[in-house]
Amino acid sequence: MNAASSMNAPSSMNALTRRKILTAAAGIATVAVAGCGGGGSSKTNSDLSGNRVGAMDKFGVGDQFKATAPITFPIMVLSNPGYPYDAKWLFWSELTKRTNISFQPTVVPLSDYNQKRSVMVGAGNAPTIIPKTYHPAEEAFIAGGAILPVSDYLDLMPNFKDKVAKWNLQGDLDQLRQADGKFYLLPGLHQDVWADYSIAVRTDVLQKLGLSTPQTWDDVHSMLTAMKAAHPNQYPLSDRWSSTPPGPGANSLLSVLGTAYNTQAGWTYQHSTWDANAGKFVYTGAMDQYKQMVQYLHTLVSEKLMDPESFTQSDDQAKQKFATGQSFVISANAQEVINSYRKGIASIPGASVAKIPVPIGPAGAVKVGVRTENGVMISSKARNSKNFVAMMQFIDWLWYSDAGELFAKWGIEGTTYTGSVEDGTFKLAPDVTWAGLNPKGTKNLQVAYGFFNGVFAYGGSTKLLDSQFPTEELAFQNVMNSRRTLPLPPPHPLSATDREQATLWETTLLDYVNQQTLQFILGRRPLSQWDQYVSELKARNAQQYIDMINKAYQDYKQKHG
Amino acid sequence: MVNISMLRPERKAAPGAPPARVRIRPGRGYRVFQVVNALVLTGVVVVTLYPFINILAQSFSSEHAIETGRVNLIPHGLNLTTYKTVMSDSMFWRNYRNTVEYTAAATFVSMVLTTCYAYVLSKKQVKGRGVLIGIAVFTMFFNGGLIPNYVLVSQLGLRNSIWAIVLPNAINVFNLLVMKAFFESLPGELEEAAAVDGLSTYGILWRIVLPLSKAVLATMILFYAVTYWNSWFSAFLYMDRSELFPVTVYLRNIIAGATVGADNGTAGDTALQIAANIQAVTIVLTVIPILTVYPFIQRYFVSGVMLGAVKG
Repeated sequence: MNAASSMNAPSSMNALTRRKILTAAAGIATVAVAGCGGGGSSKTNSDLSGNRVGAMDKFGVGDQFKATAPITFPIMVLSNPGYPYDAKWLFWSELTKRTNISFQPTVVPLSDYNQKRSVMVGAGNAPTIIPKTYHPAEEAFIAGGAILPVSDYLDLMPNFKDKVAKWNLQGDLDQLRQADGKFYLLPGLHQDVWADYSIAVRTDVLQKLGLSTPQTWDDVHSMLTAMKAAHPNQYPLSDRWSSTPPGPGANSLLSVLGTAYNTQAGWTYQHSTWDANAGKFVYTGAMDQYKQMVQYLHTLVSEKLMDPESFTQSDDQAKQKFATGQSFVISANAQEVINSYRKGIASIPGASVAKIPVPIGPAGAVKVGVRTENGVMISSKARNSKNFVAMMQFIDWLWYSDAGELFAKWGIEGTTYTGSVEDGTFKLAPDVTWAGLNPKGTKNLQVAYGFFNGVFAYGGSTKLLDSQFPTEELAFQNVMNSRRTLPLPPPHPLSATDREQATLWETTLLDYVNQQTLQFILGRRPLSQWDQYVSELKARNAQQYIDMINKAYQDYKQKHG
Repeated sequence: MVNISMLRPERKAAPGAPPARVRIRPGRGYRVFQVVNALVLTGVVVVTLYPFINILAQSFSSEHAIETGRVNLIPHGLNLTTYKTVMSDSMFWRNYRNTVEYTAAATFVSMVLTTCYAYVLSKKQVKGRGVLIGIAVFTMFFNGGLIPNYVLVSQLGLRNSIWAIVLPNAINVFNLLVMKAFFESLPGELEEAAAVDGLSTYGILWRIVLPLSKAVLATMILFYAVTYWNSWFSAFLYMDRSELFPVTVYLRNIIAGATVGADNGTAGDTALQIAANIQAVTIVLTVIPILTVYPFIQRYFVSGVMLGAVKG
């Protein structure tokens, strides 16, 4: 019968493309309009007198939140296969002890979290607290009125406001704002941009060739040339992360290179890039900087320094080449170095690998990134609950206060950790292990206790972040912390109809940019044809697209700027 | 694998002749055909079996051997601790038990409903038969969609109960039509004779028709059981607690854990990668029951489908 078809329907395990998700979400949003009848967003911030049951009268920065009476909140909880949901976790009981709050969880496997969230929100059946939502996934639910414009209620959240002011996060928050000037997602807040992705290099090969760690992308080029000279039959660089949209392949490498060239590429590709000098947005794929970046990669490929399969092969293939010593350089993040690369090369005598600080390009010693993380959506119906204020205070404490962030991440002092994050004396308890820390511990912080759960623990101060790194990664972070963070582009939210039009244009443009980027890099199309390529982009509405973005920017600036 | 001897022309001995060696020698063209046939089918077997044997080999191999791509058909760096680890996870067994329960209950309900419906539809004298068939077939082509279905199941209060899995999928129209065709092919005279001897309608169904339909019943049980065993979507959608999930959801989450790991640059959540050998072990443990049952029902399976197809 009808459900029989849905039983076998989404059997594909491939990661959904952003486009697919957006299309699906748009459909769901339409249904949500019918389903929820625009429920509950009419009330404003002003009248909260009926919603204060359980709330604290005075709740400020640094205060421990404790509801005046026990309250239970429905919440969606993502069950990570690495540490599957467990109702017996110390996290839950300790949380209740400290705050008087307990949860009524809807447990959703990580594999299909987004789909279940869409269905539940669309059916008007979602739990009040919906965490683990990555911007712009929340946009699909706005039109239906299913989620709360949380920016209206920030007065209930002293810790959130404090951190935004202290860390100067206004610009980052502006990225989340919709055309109405509000935002609908309470994002995780980082003090600083966290750079994690770079390239990993076989350090023993460096040593053997008498090379030092490359500082710039030109150094990387000379390093690869030296490696090639010593091993003429091998490609020194064979890359991975080619199946993650929206880039054309080798998406992590393109992403870090994009930053180095002051443009955007790979998995951080955005169609529009802010040109601060001209005071307007330009089309990324047509930028001169983008061309220079493509030129650089083309040189690597044409000199046979980079494996042309880098852009198409699977991660496993790339990792195998690295593990068997066929390649010496590969894109990396901290986890992959420890969990995969180091284990992989264990069988090569004397081999060692390290992630090097992101090499510097023409843009100088900079880093770029948003300091907001995935975050929490609130169901609109929660606004009418008598516990609404208590809930906002609770969310503020758990996700945004120093104490709450520390608790969610490292647990209970004396039980799961000792020392202090602030003065660097932090240490996990001897029997507790997490990722690279305390590898000999018998109890995993996540599996056994439920702390450092991706649903609750993210964001926070740089010191809190640094406490999770082993010495090696800390050195990397120290280098990266000294780099200048580039400002973010000004907000330019599109209206719903414009967004639809933009999505249509983006689809064709993205395919074309990816396809041609690859052609240029692999040398199938000479770079002398760049100007022709730019006009081909125009023929695919790149200009109209950019005009629309610039108009949205102007409009927003007039209304809310 | 198909038995090639079945395809040979049948031997026919002349009546009265001594049982001599009257063997028709296959022509040259036919022998070429046999060879090609065998080769092609062997190829198909290899292609089909390879992934499974590969997973089996991985499940007994060390993680390092898999990472470096050294495991093909034979386990590398023999390792049984993965089996011990997975089998000591209580949630795995909890979900495994759910799968068995859901499959048993759902198959039973499906069989009762499908058989009854198909039997009624097979009787040409029933008034409104066309409408009943129409209703069933309509759902083959159109359905309410994901969210309306979800709302319906929620409103009926079926969420977080076994009925959310059993009821919405209870009748598979394709199976229904195959069964209907089978019942239609039974000679009507048998039932008339039974009626003359005094059996009621239900008596006829229970004591005459069903015993004659073992082939199609076995086939349908297999179809339903395999579908329910493999299904994960309705459980994922309607179950909100992990202790209610079937093992397929558990498995899917584990496999996804390895692929989602480094999604996009924003790796805020340090998604733990599930080692390839843990995935392999879970897959093997999940597949085994169906694999062991399959060969025993297969003979019904083949003849049942042929009966339905030829006579229907």
